[in-house]
Amino acid sequence: MTAPRTLPGTEFSGDAAISAARTKEDIVVGDRLVRFRWRTRALHWLVALTFVLTLFTGLPIWTPIFGWMAYLFGGLQVVRWLHPWFGVVFSFFILIQFIDWVGEMGMTQADRQFIQLGNFLKYMRWELDEEGVGKYNGGQKLLFWLSALAALGLLLTGIVIWFPNLFGEGLREASWLIHDITFILFTLLIMGHIYLGIVEPGTFTAMIEGTVSRDWARLNHPAWYREVTGAERGGREEDRRTR
Amino acid sequence: MPIQGLEILQSSASLRGQPSALRRTPWVSKYIDTSTCIGCKACEVACQEWNDLPSVPTQQTGTYQTLPSLHAQYWNLIRFDETEVNGNFALLLRKEQCMHCGDPGCLRACPAPGAIVQYSNGIVDVNPEQCIGCRLCETGCPFDVPRFSEQTGKMSKCTLCVDRTTLGLEPACVKACPTGCLHYGTKEDMLALGEHRVAQLKANGFANAGVYDPKGVGGTNVVTVLKYADKPELYGLPANPTVPLTVRIDKKPVRWIGLVAMAATVVGLVGHYLRYGPRTGGRPKSPPPPERQS
Repeated sequence: MTAPRTLPGTEFSGDAAISAARTKEDIVVGDRLVRFRWRTRALHWLVALTFVLTLFTGLPIWTPIFGWMAYLFGGLQVVRWLHPWFGVVFSFFILIQFIDWVGEMGMTQADRQFIQLGNFLKYMRWELDEEGVGKYNGGQKLLFWLSALAALGLLLTGIVIWFPNLFGEGLREASWLIHDITFILFTLLIMGHIYLGIVEPGTFTAMIEGTVSRDWARLNHPAWYREVTGAERGGREEDRRTR
Repeated sequence: MPIQGLEILQSSASLRGQPSALRRTPWVSKYIDTSTCIGCKACEVACQEWNDLPSVPTQQTGTYQTLPSLHAQYWNLIRFDETEVNGNFALLLRKEQCMHCGDPGCLRACPAPGAIVQYSNGIVDVNPEQCIGCRLCETGCPFDVPRFSEQTGKMSKCTLCVDRTTLGLEPACVKACPTGCLHYGTKEDMLALGEHRVAQLKANGFANAGVYDPKGVGGTNVVTVLKYADKPELYGLPANPTVPLTVRIDKKPVRWIGLVAMAATVVGLVGHYLRYGPRTGGRPKSPPPPERQS
């Protein structure tokens, strides 16, 4: 009897690519590319979960149109108590994620071109030439920086709102306004992020299993694909047609 | 629980109140003549007694004043402001309390449905059962009146003795006042009383006497006669109180623009999916012909 084949040093007998994605990323395993290791995915989902909890406890305080959300948590009084604590936990996780990701989020020339409005609209029509797009495109990097900025703004204004005794009247007034405007813009941004994360088959899987197909990588992040696989530039259209 | 005998004109975080419009209720007001107040504090005691508020330890601030400012368990405070007016010494007494604004900033700012209500007779009241203790009302109030109670986690303030006035009684402080500087009645009558007193004061040499009923907050249902109405700051009153601009922006335009933007984003993304779908949805992404316009 022979033992089941596993990756060296693991007892995991399932999918080899998923197994590798526990600790490694940016490698090829069989016909899959490992995009996000476990740590990255766990952080992302902790940030996502705490974002949603903080949003859903904040919305009923923002306007009674979302009052029904309060009942998911036990009523408006409970929500008012929970919201700042959820906010603190969210701030903590997004800080850790920021530290984890910040090294990869520097804007290149290609990224700066990507986020020009005309180019971004072209991207949304799936018409942009993305030959230079690496592991993260300009939009993803912009989202990263804007999220960090928004989270910082929400935390600082949130502290003023939470402990009003410590701050002056003018600061308290400004904080409520900035807190509301920031969260609205942040929420719109995240709505777009969620849409782009699920609209393309394979993208959501990348955040669940950590792996993507070669076709997905070649289509969405060609420069990263070439870097990971060592493939030559060009031959891109050929690949797509024969897929 | 709001008082049942009165209809609700406005309710916090609600689209509208429930006035049946079957009857017209005159707006009621408290009249305060600061020129005849002797600082006896009978109104303070009456307020504590009637509203069953526990005593608050007094604080010596160098004047006769009981406390530095209002307190969650002290809704009625006589201010003693020693100052100089036109080169002469002046001891200014004023009854500090909720002004019961016609356009209450606290109610506008409050995010909890029904926590702050304005009755059809103009009285602004707090409903502790609905209050969530977020303290946003403090930000909305231009008079710095609402006080947060650490014990209950709720806001509290003067109710204009709505439980007495509904039954036709005057507020407890008015009942207790020994000099007649406090009166209670319809707003119209109290304004007339104020104008009468102002004429007397002017005849007595107080050329700047006047009635404090600021229009910026829709008038107040506490009508105050001031000897120096040109300088209400001397009494600790803002000259032109308004609901803070940030609160007004936050509660109307920001809220509606935000809601429309969120709805538009959902519609836009669904539309995008229908029009463009996933990029691997079948259309090959070959470079477009050179002259083709998309």
